[in-house]
Amino acid sequence: MGRRLAVPLLLAPSLIILLGVFLLPMLLMLVLSLQNDQQQFSFENYLLFIQDPFYTGILWRTIRVSLWTVLFSLLLGFPVAIYMANASGKVRGIVTMLILAPHLISVVIRNFGWVVVLGEKGWINELLLSIGFIHEPLRLLYNELGVVIGLTDSFIAYMVLAIATSLYSVDQSLSKAAAILGASRIRSFFDVTLPLSLPGIYAGVTLVFSLSMSAFVTPSLMGGTSVKVLPVIAYEQVMSTLNWPLGAALSFLLLGSTILLVALFTRLAETKRYKEVFAS
Amino acid sequence: MKKPSLAGIITVIVLLLVNLPILVIIPSSFTAAGYLSFPPEGFSFRWYAKIFERPEFIDSFWVSLQLAVITAVLAALIGTLAAFALAKYKFRGSQVINSLLLSPLTVPSLIIGIAALLFFTRIGLAGTFAGLLLAHVLISVPYVVRLVLTGLSSFDFTLEKAGYMLGASPARVFWDITLPLLRPAIVSGMIFSFLTSFDNVTVSLFLVAPDTTTLPLAIFSYMQETLDPLVASISSVVILLSLVFIVILEKVYGLDRLFGLQSQSH
Repeated sequence: MGRRLAVPLLLAPSLIILLGVFLLPMLLMLVLSLQNDQQQFSFENYLLFIQDPFYTGILWRTIRVSLWTVLFSLLLGFPVAIYMANASGKVRGIVTMLILAPHLISVVIRNFGWVVVLGEKGWINELLLSIGFIHEPLRLLYNELGVVIGLTDSFIAYMVLAIATSLYSVDQSLSKAAAILGASRIRSFFDVTLPLSLPGIYAGVTLVFSLSMSAFVTPSLMGGTSVKVLPVIAYEQVMSTLNWPLGAALSFLLLGSTILLVALFTRLAETKRYKEVFAS
Repeated sequence: MKKPSLAGIITVIVLLLVNLPILVIIPSSFTAAGYLSFPPEGFSFRWYAKIFERPEFIDSFWVSLQLAVITAVLAALIGTLAAFALAKYKFRGSQVINSLLLSPLTVPSLIIGIAALLFFTRIGLAGTFAGLLLAHVLISVPYVVRLVLTGLSSFDFTLEKAGYMLGASPARVFWDITLPLLRPAIVSGMIFSFLTSFDNVTVSLFLVAPDTTTLPLAIFSYMQETLDPLVASISSVVILLSLVFIVILEKVYGLDRLFGLQSQSH
């Protein structure tokens, strides 16, 4: 088979699907988002979003929930990554397996498990009530805390692996060298380990943030009707209100604000890194 | 014994927490009570028997299974062909094609679902099995392309040449040399596509017909109305099924390698 014919033939099926199920639909969605109810060209849907405090409030909540998720994932994930980087190959494999396996089980099911744990009659409340630690059930679910717990559970693995892989490539003898030269463990952590794990942290933060911004299932199941985030509002406009142009505009606003914030973060992180390099 | 470090303790806690949902669901499914409680009261299979009284779960299970199997086969086929074109033939624009093929991974699946719904409504595919299938294939192909490309990066194409020189037909060369060497990558791509499709909610949400829903979606809708041990028993069945595939995946390819690839994609 000549290469002139082979390449188009081999690529045709995937490119046709890409075009028909992704590129054309995205293009149509862009066109629709720029239409008003008389089907004329207008920025109405985008302007509505900027002017209406209801929508800006939703966007701010989405960002807030995502930032909390990033913070929790980082605080809990960083020590795990450090532990993995220092562990033997076998232990590393077991930890990787245990952190990844639940990831391949549907998010709906994992969220249900959390509802069983965190609910008003859930495991945590029943336990704390029975030992007399609290006298009325804590509200751990159907609020922003519930959503952040669910999202952290969903995305912490990305943070752990991003940091761990960046640390794998670092020479472990560096911390030893620091210790030999008389640095305390805390000094060695802040001067050696932390700076070297920064690329991994940046990657993990970006990843967890973008995934949290667009999460739909967890906010619906663990936030209930009180914690509506942008993806949930977009879904409602498309499926319940049937205002497709607005739903389309909300989708692009979600995409745009995520890209913008990630770009801003990357910019800040990079300038900081340059400063570090040139100051030393 | 070595003194446990702070990082070690936090690691154990985190591993417990991420596995907690699964550890909680299975005992809850065997409760004899009519509601979810802690600790589960009594022991019975009544909530497993209840599954068979709910045709929507049985029907949606079959829809999901068919969908996931066909998606896995199609995605593996289409993705492997594309990866071959990219790895074997160096052509102008192959970098662009490569990033184009992976681009669905950079867009949230919710947005892919909405866009597909808007477009499919125009061309009459909305609410059909074919439409749902096409969307699942779209989100699975990038994973296969990535996996097979990685497999091909260490593939020695002179082996194929050697086969031709010894007089083998192209079909024979492909079947006896190329395919066996790429089998782990292709099989992993297939299983990963199966799980991607079988677990999907956010794309299916927009594309299912009212009467043919998928299992995760049926659980999702049920959970928004009622929270009872029935969800636990159905979930336990799905967990068991997923674990079988996860173990195969770990044996064939290794979850860490698979995941490394997944996390780069976003």
